[in-house]
Amino acid sequence: MDPVLIKMAIIGLVVLGCIGLFFGIGLALAAHKFAVEINPKVEEVLESLAGAQ
Amino acid sequence: MRKLRQYFLLIFMLVIWGLLTAGCSQEHRFIKKVTFKGTNSIMITFAGPVDESWAKDTGNYAIYEKPDPDILLKITHITLTPDKKSVILSLEDDLNQQQPHILSIKGILSEGRSQGTATVTVKKLYFGYLFSILIGAMIIGNFVFTKYLGLCVFFGTSQKKTTAIGMGITFTLVIIVASMMSWFLYQFVLKPFRLDYLQIVVFIGLVSLSVQAVDTVLRKINPALFKAFGVFLVLVIANCIILATPLILADNEYNAWESLMLATGAGLGFLIALFLMACVRERLEISNVPPTYRGLPISFIVAGLFALAFMGFSGMVIF
Repeated sequence: MDPVLIKMAIIGLVVLGCIGLFFGIGLALAAHKFAVEINPKVEEVLESLAGAQ
Repeated sequence: MRKLRQYFLLIFMLVIWGLLTAGCSQEHRFIKKVTFKGTNSIMITFAGPVDESWAKDTGNYAIYEKPDPDILLKITHITLTPDKKSVILSLEDDLNQQQPHILSIKGILSEGRSQGTATVTVKKLYFGYLFSILIGAMIIGNFVFTKYLGLCVFFGTSQKKTTAIGMGITFTLVIIVASMMSWFLYQFVLKPFRLDYLQIVVFIGLVSLSVQAVDTVLRKINPALFKAFGVFLVLVIANCIILATPLILADNEYNAWESLMLATGAGLGFLIALFLMACVRERLEISNVPPTYRGLPISFIVAGLFALAFMGFSGMVIF
C-alpha cells in the first residue's frame, strides 16, 4: 500500500472521530443544560401497567 | 448573569461574522471591483493606476466560465480609461452572465511595481444572484416537483392543511440549521483535510445531529411550539431533501450566503409543495374518486399534475 494513502486514511479516521466526539459532547451538554423535568411517577405508572398495547 | 450571556452572544456573533466574511472574500487586495459591462465586456477597477504596456497585453488575462475551466474566452481588445485605474476587456462572444466567470490576471504592474497575480470571480449583481438562487430552489427547481426528492414525507404529511404547514415550518427550520452547519464543516474541515469523499457520511450525521439539537432545545425553550411541531421532527431525519441540499451546496462550492439562500429556498419550496398538495387532498376526500384510485394512487396522479404545472417554470431566468 502507498504510505500516502494510508496516511490519508488515518487522517480521515482521526478527523471524523474528532468531529463525532465534539458533537457528541456538545449534544450531551445541551441535553444536560436543557433538561426537562419529567414526573418520575409517570414512568412508574407506565412500568406497572401491563403494556401489551 | 444576563449581561454575561449577552456579551457571550455578541462575541459569538462577531466570530461567526468574521468566519463568514473570511469564507466569502477571495478578492485580491489590489482589485477593487470586477463587473460585467454591456453584453460582451468586463470592467476591472484597480486600487491604483496600472502600467499601460502591461494592461494592453491580452496574454496577461485569462477568463473562463466557472464550470468549464478548459474553455478560455477570447479577448478581442482592451481599453484603458484615462485615469489608468480601470480596464475594459472586450470579448469576442457575448457572455453568459448567469454563470459566474473566473478571471485570472497575471503579474499586475502598477507604476513599475508588481502587485502579484490575482484570480477573481465575476458575478452579476450579488443580491440578484442570491435572490435567483432562492427562487430557483423554491419554485423553478422545486425539490419535490422537479427533482422528485422527499416523496415519502411529502405524501405522509400532506393529508391536512394544518399538518402540512407544521411540517413545512419545522422542515425549513431544520434544513437551515443543518445546511449552515454542513457548509461550515465542508469548508473548514472536510476541504482542508481533503476528506471530500466522506461528505455523505458526515452530512447524514450532521442532519440527525441538528434534528436532535433542535428537538432538545425546543423542548425546553418553547414547550408549546414543541407540542405542535415536535412530532414532525422525527420525520425530518428520514427526508432526503435535507441531505440533498448540503450535497448540492458542497458540489457548487457555494459560500455562506448562497448556502443560506439555497437552504431557505429548499425549505420554503417544500412548504409550498406540502400546502398545495394538502389543499387538493382535502378536496379529494369529499369528491367521488373511483375505489381503485382512492387514497395514495390519486395523490400520486395529482403530484404528477403538479409536477407538470411546475414544468412551466423551467428555464425561467430571473435577473
